[in-house]
Amino acid sequence: MQEVTKAVLVEAHGVSKQFQSGTSKVVALENMDLEIREGELVALLGPSGCGKSTLLNIIGGLLTPSSGVVKVAGETLTGPRRDIGMMFQTPVMFPWRTTLENVLVPVDVFGWSRKDYRERALELLEMVDIQGFADSYPWQLSGGMQQRAALCRVLICDPKLLLLDEPFGALDEFTREAMDLELLSLWNRTAKTIAFVTHNINEAVFMSDRVAVMSSRPGRLVGMLDVPLPRPREIEIMRTREFADLAFTARAMLGNQ
Amino acid sequence: MSTPAVLRKKQASMPADQAMAQTGSGLVIGLTTVAIFIALGEIVPRSGLVSRVVMPTGGDVVTAFWRLVTGGYWLSHLRATMTAVGIAWVIGAVLGLFLGIAMGVSAFTRKVVNPYVIAFQALPKIVLAPLFIGWLGFGAPSKVAIAVVICFFPVWVDTMIGLSLPTEREYTFLRALRASRWQVFRMLQLPSALPLIMVGLKHAVLLAFTGVLVAEILAASAGGLGVLAESYAGQLLMPLTFAVILVVVFIAVSLVAILDRLEHRIVFWSEAGRARTSIAAIKKEGKGR
Repeated sequence: MQEVTKAVLVEAHGVSKQFQSGTSKVVALENMDLEIREGELVALLGPSGCGKSTLLNIIGGLLTPSSGVVKVAGETLTGPRRDIGMMFQTPVMFPWRTTLENVLVPVDVFGWSRKDYRERALELLEMVDIQGFADSYPWQLSGGMQQRAALCRVLICDPKLLLLDEPFGALDEFTREAMDLELLSLWNRTAKTIAFVTHNINEAVFMSDRVAVMSSRPGRLVGMLDVPLPRPREIEIMRTREFADLAFTARAMLGNQ
Repeated sequence: MSTPAVLRKKQASMPADQAMAQTGSGLVIGLTTVAIFIALGEIVPRSGLVSRVVMPTGGDVVTAFWRLVTGGYWLSHLRATMTAVGIAWVIGAVLGLFLGIAMGVSAFTRKVVNPYVIAFQALPKIVLAPLFIGWLGFGAPSKVAIAVVICFFPVWVDTMIGLSLPTEREYTFLRALRASRWQVFRMLQLPSALPLIMVGLKHAVLLAFTGVLVAEILAASAGGLGVLAESYAGQLLMPLTFAVILVVVFIAVSLVAILDRLEHRIVFWSEAGRARTSIAAIKKEGKGR
C-alpha cells in the first residue's frame, strides 16, 4: 500500500489545452488538476476524446499546455525530460535494428556507452521473457513481444516516472492481461511511479492505486477514485465484491457527465 | 517516380512451396520461349521473309560476337563507355544524394523547389544533349555531363522522398528522448530512406548507361560501345551491331545483379517488415487522441 506521506512527483495545476482545427477551437483539456505521488500507480480513465492522452503528453513534455503549470520533481516542465520514460500504444521499432539494439536506442541518443548497458538490456529482456529474441529483428516479433521490448527500452535508462499511453491497447485481450500482470510485478520490484492511460474500467481498477476518471468534450477531471484493494493483486481479485463495487463506482462516475 | 519492374524488389511474402512451384514452372516457360526465339531467329532470316543482311540469324550474331570479343579493339571502346558510365554514376549519385538530403531535411526547401522538380521530371532530358555538346565539345566530358543529367534525378527524388518517410510517431518517440536534429537524421531518417536510395542508385546506373550510349551515338567521337554500334550499323554490318547490343545487355544485367546483391546486404530489413510497422501506424492514427 502506498502511504500518503510520499513526496509528490507530478503536480498539474489548472492545465488546459486547446487545439486549433481550421477556424474552430477544440478544447481537449479544461482546468485539470492532478497530483501523482512517488511510487504510485495511477490510471487516467475515460472515453476517447477525453484528453487523457493529451494530458499524458503534456506531463511527458511533448505538448505545452495552453494554460496552467506542470511540475515534475518540483521543477516546472519546459520540455521532454530524460527521467521520464514514455511508451505508446504501438511501439516504435526500427526495422534495421535488432531487438537488443532497439532497446539500446535511448542509450545511443543519450550518448552513453552501449557496452555499459548491453548487460542490463539483456537482463531486462530476460525479465520480460524475450531474451531469446535479442538478436531478432522487430518484424520477426509478435505485437506482444514488440511491446515487451518497448517496455525494456523505457526501463533501460531507469526513469523516475513512466508514462504509458494505452500501452497494451493494441494487443488482444489475453496478451493484454498477461502484460498487465507483468507490468504490476515489475512495478512491485522497481517501485517506479507509473501513470497510464486506458479506456478499460477493469484494467484501470485492477492496476491502480488511484484512478483519475475523466469526461470528454471538453476533457475534464470528474474525480479521483481511490483503489484500496490489497497488493499484490491477482486476476482472481476481479471476482471480489470490493472490485465489482469499485468498477461500478468508476462506471457511474464516467456516466455522470 | 516510375520504376522499371526489374528494379523492384521481389515480394518475400510468398509461401516457400508456392514460390518453389512458381520458379519451377517459370524456368520451363522461360526455357521454352528462349528456344522458340532462337528457332525463329534461325528460320525467319533464312526463309527470305526479311533480308539476311538486315536481320541476321542467331548463328550469324554468335559468330560476330566471337569475332568482336576476340578482336581486341573493342576493349578500348568498352573501357571508354564503362569509364564514362562509372564517372557519371558516381557524380550523379553524389549530386542526387546531396540535393536529396538538402531538400529532404527541410520541408521549406522542399516546397520551394518542388515546382522545378516537377518541371525537370517531365523534361525528356536527352533534349539537353545538344547543349552539352555545344558547351563541352565532342569528347568524353559532354558524354559524362549528359549521363549525369539523366541519372542523378532518381537518386535525388528517391532520397528526398525517402527522408520524408518516417511517421509522426517515430519523430515523437525520438523527441521524447530529446534527440538532436542530427541524431534524428542519422538514427531515423537516413535508415528509413536507404531502401529507396538503393532503388534510386540502381535506376541511376541504367540511366547513366543509357545516357552515355545515346551521347556516343549522337556525338560519335570519343569512342565507346555506342560509337561502335553506330559505325557497324552504318556499314550494314548487322551481325556485329547485334553483337555490340549483346555486350550491352550482358553489362546491364550484370550491373543490376551486382547492385541487387548489394541492396540485399545493405537494406536487409525487408519491405514486409517496413510495411508491418506502417500498418500499425495507420491503425493508431485513425483513432486520434
